Amino acid sequence: MKGSETMPNTAEKVEPVARLQGVSKKMGSKTLISDLTLDIPAGQIFGFLGPNGAGKTTTIRMMVGLISISSGDILICGRSIKDHFEEAVANIGAIVENPEMYKFLSGYQNLRQYARMVSGVSKQRIDEVVELVGLGARIHDKVKTYSLGMRQRLGVAQALLHRPKLLILDEPTNGLDPQGIRELRDYLRRLCQEEGTTVFVSSHLLSEMELMCDSVAIIQNGRLVDVKQLKTVGDVIMPIGETLFEVDAPEAALALMGHGVLKNGGIVLAATREEIAELNAKLVTGGIKVYSIKTLARSLEDQFLEITGGEGIG
Amino acid sequence: MGNFAALIHNENIKIYSRVRTWIMLIILAVMSALIPVLVYFTGNGDADSGGMGVWDNFQVSIAIAFFLNTIFTVVIASDSVAGEFSWGTIKLLLIRPWSRSKILLSKYIALVLFSLLSTGVLIAFGLGASLIFSSGSSEGVAGMNSSWSPAQYSFLVILCQYIQLFLTAGIAFMVSSVFRASGLAIGLSLFIIFASGIFSLLFNPDRFEWARYLIFNHMDLSVYINSDTGAGGSTLGFSIAVLAVYYALFMLVSWIVFRKRDVAA
Ligand SMILES: Nc1ncnc2c1ncn2[C@@H]1O[C@H](COP(=O)(O)OP(=O)(O)OP(=O)(O)O)[C@@H](O)[C@H]1O
Ligand SMILES: [Mg+2]
Repeated sequence: MKGSETMPNTAEKVEPVARLQGVSKKMGSKTLISDLTLDIPAGQIFGFLGPNGAGKTTTIRMMVGLISISSGDILICGRSIKDHFEEAVANIGAIVENPEMYKFLSGYQNLRQYARMVSGVSKQRIDEVVELVGLGARIHDKVKTYSLGMRQRLGVAQALLHRPKLLILDEPTNGLDPQGIRELRDYLRRLCQEEGTTVFVSSHLLSEMELMCDSVAIIQNGRLVDVKQLKTVGDVIMPIGETLFEVDAPEAALALMGHGVLKNGGIVLAATREEIAELNAKLVTGGIKVYSIKTLARSLEDQFLEITGGEGIG
Repeated sequence: MGNFAALIHNENIKIYSRVRTWIMLIILAVMSALIPVLVYFTGNGDADSGGMGVWDNFQVSIAIAFFLNTIFTVVIASDSVAGEFSWGTIKLLLIRPWSRSKILLSKYIALVLFSLLSTGVLIAFGLGASLIFSSGSSEGVAGMNSSWSPAQYSFLVILCQYIQLFLTAGIAFMVSSVFRASGLAIGLSLFIIFASGIFSLLFNPDRFEWARYLIFNHMDLSVYINSDTGAGGSTLGFSIAVLAVYYALFMLVSWIVFRKRDVAA
């Protein structure tokens, strides 16, 4: 996988996997989405963030052709979802809201249904995907016996089956346990790095997005509010913001460290990775007990609430 | 891209992996076979006075079992599109690289295949039981006054019944894809079957010229087996033309609505 490491650097030159061009959606007199323009670059995990009712699901429905686009257009791999639906949608694997499946069929039979609708999905591929989402032997049970989390996993499996270039997931962590969320995050990362799949994931779980995404678009009341780069693609060095040292004697520690402010029973200061290590050594040799060291990067949540003004639904 | 046969295969799986479907087919088989048996044991059984011949017996079986056959086919037709909406599976079905038209067509073909299968079951069990349980003497069919042989006559009756079923299923399919509600589709299409007799009495083409164009007055083509003219003096060709127009209309409406519909919860 050597090649994939250099890929992010060329990502900017590659055509965006999906382009939303001045997209609006009206239903009756209501405008659900207005003039949304957004490029989703290839090879990224791209977050789509917004409070309840912001229009995330509506946008996703338009991207996969479930609802019509009132004005504007959406291109998937350069193909209009309006005019060349079949070619455009062939590049997409998606979950739209809850992934409902045929309850009277087994999970495996459900996957076979979707496998038959595209070419080149072998039995082996189905097994591979089942393995990936961790459904194991339960795959042969009827879907009506599945828990919410298991259905969500099956939903991810059907979306991955045909190795789509663009994976669209509408709140995929809904119903997953912490273990499941972690696994999902890990294999989305892997998918993105190893197979170059672009992932477009919506959520209102802000902390989730921060852990998972390269960029996020923030939407509110059907309008794009902001697009943020969370970290440069493939970057390993997170810029370090504020750091909190939790110690037994804050005053003495502050004197030793030289700078910083007292806060939450510890000292808060800006420091790089190297400086943190040095400061820690200084404190320990100075006889001060260090209980924890935390990075206090201003969270996306704070920024998000700031941007959206912490408003409620609507 | 897979091939279109795979789409039909998928639809067949959805129909035949439900227990309901098999219960309906078994009931249909049992009823088709039971009627000749009941007729045999409750009839006068007196071979000398004519009794009930094979084809007479089969006619009775068809007349009753086709009601059931229609109901069951309507149930399948009504769930075809509406089921996907009520299960929520429509979202995952429509995001495959297939146009909505082809998906709808695959559903319709699977429905027609079911109606052929159920009619096959009806004929096999009805005829089988009639052959075993008949007093055997009378060779004709009561009420038949044409040059057809009893076997030909019986199969013409089946054909006419099937056409009626086919149109009723078409109505159910249309209502199912327009209103996305299978209950409504079942109710409305069954109402049409049961009420069509009353409608053709009320709107008699002998009294109202426009009633000649009502579907109710043409759905039962079996009148043409023994006569050249049907309701209001119309000919077989005219009746077929009227039915064809209605059928095309049902299909067109289903297609237009299904193709354009916004799939939102
Ligand atoms: N079928 C519909 N008809 C009319 N309005 C609708 C319809 N579906 C959604 N809406 C409205 O569109 C807006 C956006 O809804 P949408 O489902 O896209 O929100 P969302 O961002 O996905 O929210 P959530 O986080 O709750 O999933 C909401 O105000 C909603 O009331
Ligand atoms: Mg939503």
